[in-house]
Amino acid sequence: MAEAIIQVESLNLTYRSIRAVQDVTFSVKPGEILAVIGPNGSGKTSTVECVEGLRKPDSGTVRVFGKDPWVHRNEVYRSMGVQLQETEYPSKIRVGELCRLFAGFYDRPADWNALLSQMELEEKRNRRVSKLSGGEKQRLSVLLSLMGRPKLIVMDELTTGLDPEMRRQIWVSFENIRNSGVAMVLVSHYLDEVEALADRILYLEKGTQQFFGTKQEFREYAKGRISENEWDDSFSLEKLYLLLTPKQKGISMEDIL
Amino acid sequence: MKRFAMICKMETILFLRDFFSAFFTLGFPALMLVMFGSIYGNEPMYPGADLGAMEASVPAYAVMVMGVTGLMAFPLTLAGYKEKKIYKRFDATPAGKGQIILAQVLVNVAMTFSGIVLLLLLGKILYHTRIQGSIGSVCVSLVICIAAMFSMGFLFTAIGRDAKITNLLCYLFYFVMLFLSGATIPDMLFPESVKSVSKFLPMTHAVDLMQGVFAGESLGSHGAELLVLGAVTILFTGGGAVLYQKKDWA
Repeated sequence: MAEAIIQVESLNLTYRSIRAVQDVTFSVKPGEILAVIGPNGSGKTSTVECVEGLRKPDSGTVRVFGKDPWVHRNEVYRSMGVQLQETEYPSKIRVGELCRLFAGFYDRPADWNALLSQMELEEKRNRRVSKLSGGEKQRLSVLLSLMGRPKLIVMDELTTGLDPEMRRQIWVSFENIRNSGVAMVLVSHYLDEVEALADRILYLEKGTQQFFGTKQEFREYAKGRISENEWDDSFSLEKLYLLLTPKQKGISMEDIL
Repeated sequence: MKRFAMICKMETILFLRDFFSAFFTLGFPALMLVMFGSIYGNEPMYPGADLGAMEASVPAYAVMVMGVTGLMAFPLTLAGYKEKKIYKRFDATPAGKGQIILAQVLVNVAMTFSGIVLLLLLGKILYHTRIQGSIGSVCVSLVICIAAMFSMGFLFTAIGRDAKITNLLCYLFYFVMLFLSGATIPDMLFPESVKSVSKFLPMTHAVDLMQGVFAGESLGSHGAELLVLGAVTILFTGGGAVLYQKKDWA
């Protein structure tokens, strides 16, 4: 069995008195896509930021390519591309200049001209990044995450702000990238995206790990928590998720369906 | 090294694209020199004085350039990048934010020297101004004054919770110091009450030091100014660094 690219064990992270991540354990193997799902504030971004070496865990072990990403951040980033949840770029920089700058960070950068056309940003090459639309900025972020020909890509809300056509184009691109052996971590609120791309799911709620396993195992997990008269084998992941999460909020089946 | 040179090149382009930074570092002080030079010429400041009016103005305007970059351009860039999480994005690359910040410091310092060289050339060509002091003393003074100005800006970015507060602190201190330090209005025109406030401003000591060494005075005769500016650099940089340790960059 291939060695895990990401290995996280008993991860804990606290912001002042708030326990953002509690005892989270998971792993990701080469060529595998892990979807991290859960309601807002469930600790998804905090968890992936520990994997990205952008936050130092209070306790637990995080290894990316066998290294602690907090300690060996620069080394890890030679093979890891990320798309952050909220990020901006210098307002007066142009698209082409930003691509050239990022390409210069890597020893063997991708052909960013080809990436520009793949992301339909070719005509925006001379446009200032601050003048791009939300969707264009999102595509640029995805492009930059691919700049170093990564073996691991971490995407926090990959297709937020993109139109349905572009979302599906990106799914196809990422499916192809995965098939070449690249591992991915995908933080997403779009369960159709998770259904289309993910091999395994990490489900978090209030910072605690509720589930980690394959999509099929997630169905079994959900089935065990939903009453028999509510259950239907044809339920999509999104419906299962909606049935699971509102249980704590007292929302009825009728509200959802 | 190639990567760092590329980052520096990009930061230089971004600096020059920012009208405020480019104009007030390179254009405005030169414009002041030409404007006041065309009114007063380089006649002695008072009967019997060795120093011409423009010879006293060039080092004072040089401090103005240092103030623009150290208290405005550099800290406002740093605060903006921090607030917009741009450093965080660079941290998620093999380059890291350290190289970006270092490049920003170097580019701002280089622009400061460019603004000062422009002033010196214009003064020399238009008004035949001279540097009567040794080049060594002038260079040491320049470095100390620049370090003090940048350390103030650095501390303000560390104090400000967000870019707005940093902007407020920088604008406030820059303009108060600009007008009360002798950088724009000769301090001999100040009433005693203003002079008593002025002596507490680091920029006043920078102007005194620069005017002194440009006029040929030794560094030793400006021990007090060197001490104040050195202390400002150490305390403000150290204070800023301590505050940054507690900040959440992510």
